[in-house]
Parts: sequence; C-alpha cells; structure tokens
Amino acid sequence: MAIITKQKTADRPAPLSETSVLGWLQKNLFSSVFNTVLTLITIFIIYLTLSGVVVWGYLDATFVADKRRECYDNSLTGACWAGVIAWLDNIFYGRYPREEIWRIDFGGLLLVLWMLPLWLARVKGKILIGASVIIFYPFLAGYMFTGGDKGWFMQFMVAGAITAFIINMTNMLVGLLKNTSLDVFLMQLFGQADAGDKTQRNILLAMVAALFVVVFLWQASWNVTEVVWTKWGGLFLTLVISGIGIASSLPLGIFLALGRRSKLPVVRVLSTGFIEVFRSVPLITVLFMATTMFPLFMPEGFVLNKLVQVIIAVILFNACYMAEIVRAGLQAIPKGQFEGAHTIGLGYWGTMGLIIMPQALKHMIPNIVGNIIGLLKDTTLVSIIGLFDILGMLRSISKDVPWVGLHKEPLIFGAVLFFIICFSMSKYSRHLEVKLSAGDKH
Amino acid sequence: MSEQQITGQLASAASTEVMIEINQMNKWYGDFHVLKDIDLTVHKGERFVICGPSGSGKSTLIRCINALEEHQQGDIIVDGIKLGKNLKNLDHIRTEVGMVFQNFNLFPHLTILENLTLGPIWVRKMAKAEAIETAMMYLERVKIPEQADKYPGQMSGGQQQRVAIARSLCMSPKIMLFDEPTSALDPEMIKEVLDVMVELAETGMTMIVVTHEMGFAKTIADEVIFMDEGDIVERNKPVAFFENPEHERTQKFLSQIL
Ligand SMILES: Nc1ncnc2c1ncn2[C@@H]1O[C@H](COP(=O)(O)OP(=O)(O)O)[C@@H](O)[C@H]1O
Ligand SMILES: [Mg+2]
Repeated sequence: MAIITKQKTADRPAPLSETSVLGWLQKNLFSSVFNTVLTLITIFIIYLTLSGVVVWGYLDATFVADKRRECYDNSLTGACWAGVIAWLDNIFYGRYPREEIWRIDFGGLLLVLWMLPLWLARVKGKILIGASVIIFYPFLAGYMFTGGDKGWFMQFMVAGAITAFIINMTNMLVGLLKNTSLDVFLMQLFGQADAGDKTQRNILLAMVAALFVVVFLWQASWNVTEVVWTKWGGLFLTLVISGIGIASSLPLGIFLALGRRSKLPVVRVLSTGFIEVFRSVPLITVLFMATTMFPLFMPEGFVLNKLVQVIIAVILFNACYMAEIVRAGLQAIPKGQFEGAHTIGLGYWGTMGLIIMPQALKHMIPNIVGNIIGLLKDTTLVSIIGLFDILGMLRSISKDVPWVGLHKEPLIFGAVLFFIICFSMSKYSRHLEVKLSAGDKH
Repeated sequence: MSEQQITGQLASAASTEVMIEINQMNKWYGDFHVLKDIDLTVHKGERFVICGPSGSGKSTLIRCINALEEHQQGDIIVDGIKLGKNLKNLDHIRTEVGMVFQNFNLFPHLTILENLTLGPIWVRKMAKAEAIETAMMYLERVKIPEQADKYPGQMSGGQQQRVAIARSLCMSPKIMLFDEPTSALDPEMIKEVLDVMVELAETGMTMIVVTHEMGFAKTIADEVIFMDEGDIVERNKPVAFFENPEHERTQKFLSQIL
C-alpha cells in the first residue's frame, strides 16, 4: 500500500490550552495540587508586600509639609515625600543657580532634537547625523552648562555645532516632507540636479560655509554667565559624567581592543598591559588615585579641576571594559570576512571600519548597553570623593535642618529613578537587537 | 560528483605574456612543510585546474598567490610584482587578483549591491553611480540582477556564490582564483555556478581553479595540475590527464573520485 491518505488533511484549531487565557493559567499555574499551592502562596506574598508598600508610600504618606516634624504630625506610619519634593531641584540639578537651570533643560532638549532624526525612517544620512552629534554636541552643551567667555576655539566649535544643528534639523524636515535628503533637495531647488558631482559638492560646501559665517558672527555676541563646576550636581552631574564617559570610552575601547589584537608587539603589549591594570583595580581606587595622586605627577601650577580628573578616570576605567567587550565581539567574526575584505583590496582600516566593526558592534549591543547601565550606576561612587552627584544630593537631604534624619524616602526615590532609566535602556537594547538582526538571517 | 553536461573543450586563450611566475617556492606552517619546491608559470588567458586529495596544499598554494598567506622561500611574481614584505605591493596585488572561496565570504550586513560596490567605491575610488552601473552589469552576467537589494542570508548557496564571483569581477581583476567554489553547494546548484565560470573562461580571463568537477576541468582547462602532500605531482592536458594519468598517486586519486 503506497497511498496512505487520499485527501489533504484539513487544518484544525489548536487545543484551548494553547490559545485561551484560561487554558494558559491552567497549564502554567494550576496544573497540579502542588503547583496550585505554590501559586497561591506566591500570590499571598506579593499581596502582603504590595499592600505594605501602597499603604506606606501612598495612603499614609505626606506630600505637603515644610519640615519632617509636620510629616510626623500628619502620620507616623507613612512616607514623608514632602522632603523629596522640596529637594527635587537639588536632586536633578544640584546647586546650579535656579535662574540658570533652563540652560540644562535646553541642553537636554537640544540633544533629544539632535538625535530625533536617527529614529525617523524617512530621514536620510543617519551616519552623518550620528557623527555630528558626537563631534559637535559636547562643545555646544559644554558651553551651555559652563558659560563665561568663549575663547576663539570655543567660538569656532560652538558656531560649528549650531551650524550642524541647523543643517540637521532642516534635513529632518526635508526628509519628513519630501522623503529625500537635504543635498538632493537643494540641488533640485536650484536646478542643479544634473550638474557633475564636483559642481554639486562645491555649491553645497559654499552654502555650509556661508551658514557657518552667519552663525559665527551671530554667536560672537551671545554669552551666558559662568557657572563654576562646583555648583554642578544631582542627576545632571551623574549624566554628564556617565554621558562623557560612555561617549569617549567606546571609541577608546575600540582602539584598545584593536591594539590588543595588533601584529605589532609594542602596541599589543602596551594595550594589554593598560587593559589588565585598569581591569584589576576597583573604580573607587581609580577615582581616589585620579584626584589625589594625579596632581602629584603634573607640573607645578598645573591644576585640573576635580571634575575633569574624575571624568578622565571614568573614561580610562570604562574604556578597558569596553575594550574587552569589543574584543569578544571581534573574535566572533569568522576569518572568512577578513579574507573576503582582503580580496576586494580593502586595507586594515577599511576592513575594520566597513566590514568587521559594523558586524561586531551589532553582536556587542547587549554587552555595551549592559556596560552603559553599569557605568551609570557606578558613577554614584563619585559622591564618596566629594562630588554632589545624585547620590550625594539624596544623602544630603537628611542633613538639611528641616528634614534631618530623612534617609529612606530619598534613597527609595533614587532607586526608582535609576530603575526607570536603566530598565528602559535595557528594554531599548532588546528592541535594537531584534531590529538590527532582522536584515540578515544567517 | 555531480554529472555535468558541459562538453566540448574551449579554445585556449593563452598568450605569451606571463601573469604569474612561481619559482622554487616553499611554505611551512610552523614545522609542517605544506608546499615543496613549487614551480609554475601561468600566462595571460591561461586556465589551470588544480586537484588533489584534501590537505595536499591546494588552497595554500592559491592563497599564497594573492598574498593571503606568506611563503618563506622562493619567489612568487604576479603581474610583474614580486610578493614579499612590501605592503604597497600587497595592496596592489590584492586589487589585481580576484578570489572566490568555498564559503562565499559575502558580507552579511550589506545588500548584494553594496557587497559589489564596496570595493570599487572605497578601493578604486569610483563614483557611486558608475560603481552601481558596473555592479548591475556583472549581476546581469551572473544572471541575478533582480536580487540586488537582498541580503546574502536571503539567497541560496548557488546564488551567493555567483554574487561572490560578481563581487570579484567588479574590481576588474587580471587573474581569478577559485578555491573549491562548488564544494559547499547542493548538487542542483553546482551547474549554475559552473556555467557562470565557463562564461567567464570564454571572455579570456586568466583563471586558476581548485575543483574536482572533472567535466568542468575538461571543458575549460588548458592544463590540469595534480597535487599531493605539497608536491605538484603531475600536470598535463585535461584529456591526457584524465585518460592516461602517469603517476600512480594520480591514478589512485582519480580512481577514488571518478
Ligand atoms: N593556518 C594553518 N596552520 C597550520 N596548518 C595549516 C593551516 N592551514 C592549512 N594547514 C595545513 O596545511 C595542509 C594543506 O592545507 P590546504 O592547503 O588547506 O589543503 P587543501 O586545500 O589541499 O585541502 C593541511 O594539512 C592543513 O592541515
Ligand atoms: Mg582547500
């Protein structure tokens, strides 16, 4: 008998346990007596914890009060959020002058706007946008936050940043409205779409240069008052330190990783030594070294402010971890990719930049984001060496006369804040991974 | 072996101009002597097929020719340039010699078109529009122009190998090396790749092909080379090679694969 069945078997719906909520519950939570008991106990524990939290943190809590005493007068068993609320500005901005706080918000807003096009599918030129934010944004933000007189270099960079920002925003609008890139759009506008590559490039360069000159002249008269770094603090300071730390340690880490794999013995030994030394020492030690020992090695009269020292320490420390992440990512790339690149004549930097790194970085995203989250949290260590970052601010609340002894609420508030930031980053990294691996299935 | 329907020998395109000259070349991996006193001269337009048992040094030989591996003794002169430590020379050689691998080695993060235009744009400094035009012409020639926007991972092995051939051709190489280009393919895809290679041979390209596809060898090869344990054991015209192998090692090998 060769023929088993003559007709095509019709599709039937899956059993209830696979599709309905009830089916799922039954299969996963109540499949046996033991399982049911476990489920019920767990639900009870969750209930106890949650209800305790809700009563303490919300139902019995005090939100409006002028000092801790008043909280107690209101309720002895509830949280005293009034203290946290009174200190909110300090928690976010430190002792930054209140009338200047808009500069921080504005700096943050600029960053968001600058990066916004990266998420918009219709906008072209993402690599340039990414590069411009890394190269120019720090200078503009740096001046916004610090203020004071601009030296000629700062004038130049600030003007460059504003120019880049204007171009970026125009490019975004053109992308959204016309679904093309700014240069193509401009060429069509001036009827030069068919001109040669060289002509087009020259016209564009001339336009950028003209814009730069206008911006340069305009910004020369624009000044904001100086705010010394000792007034920086709170979440703002945490984000500045970790932001600069992250943005610089990734490129530095890439070079260290390449150095460690280099064929040149001197480069290899130096990179390996550097990485291993920094990886074997706790961050707090590096921070102490940077602030106490570093000045000893510097020429007399050369004073770096503590913030810069801390940032350098964080960058060097984190770059070593990044280097190891990058190295692991590079090792995952098959040898054939190097050989493929070799046969089309790419040299070392072309191979690394165009073929190997783009693939390796994609594999590294989860680890890089993990490292970023770690760095953000580790940055709170700077409160130990006397910077008033977010942790420093949260702990000062208990020393403020009206709120003396208020420890729990600020720290819980800080924990929730960190959780929100870190959890959204890790969720976003999952999303990125899925999105990036959609293109190539091996 | 798949049964190939390729029959009829192509006319030889060999000229007197020397493209590759290998003199008394030796290579070791550590203590292991992989290639022993290799002598080989390849003229412009000449087509060689190399066969031999696994581990006999076939891949190593052709990898030495485009400087993927270093040799320790003797000379390899490609298109008048002596291979050695001089990096400038190496860069030049790499752009003159195209290579196709058993595992394709396409770049999985780039589309087919980007795979093809990368070299011309970044190495040959060609304008983008021109590079795309060239790429499309070669995709046409390997018969998959409609796949230009796909990623390598979305294509069959045979298609990927044809893209790999097109990618090499986009660099307008003077010599093409093939390292078992059909060994990783399912039988039904072997022919589509061999067909493309035969067409390439018809254009007069200088080719060295490591393969065990005998029908293909008979069609295109000016000479077949048999390697064993790092030696070139025997070389002959294809018909003579397959019908009257002289060396007993060749006879034994042919009896195993035919
Ligand atoms: N990178 C390497 N290091 C050490 N030995 C190698 C390396 N590559 C190849 N070999 C050895 O050299 C010999 C020849 O290899 P190969 O040229 O790949 O042979 P074929 O291509 O003829 O199968 C084999 O014995 C192989 O194990
Ligand atoms: Mg081989």
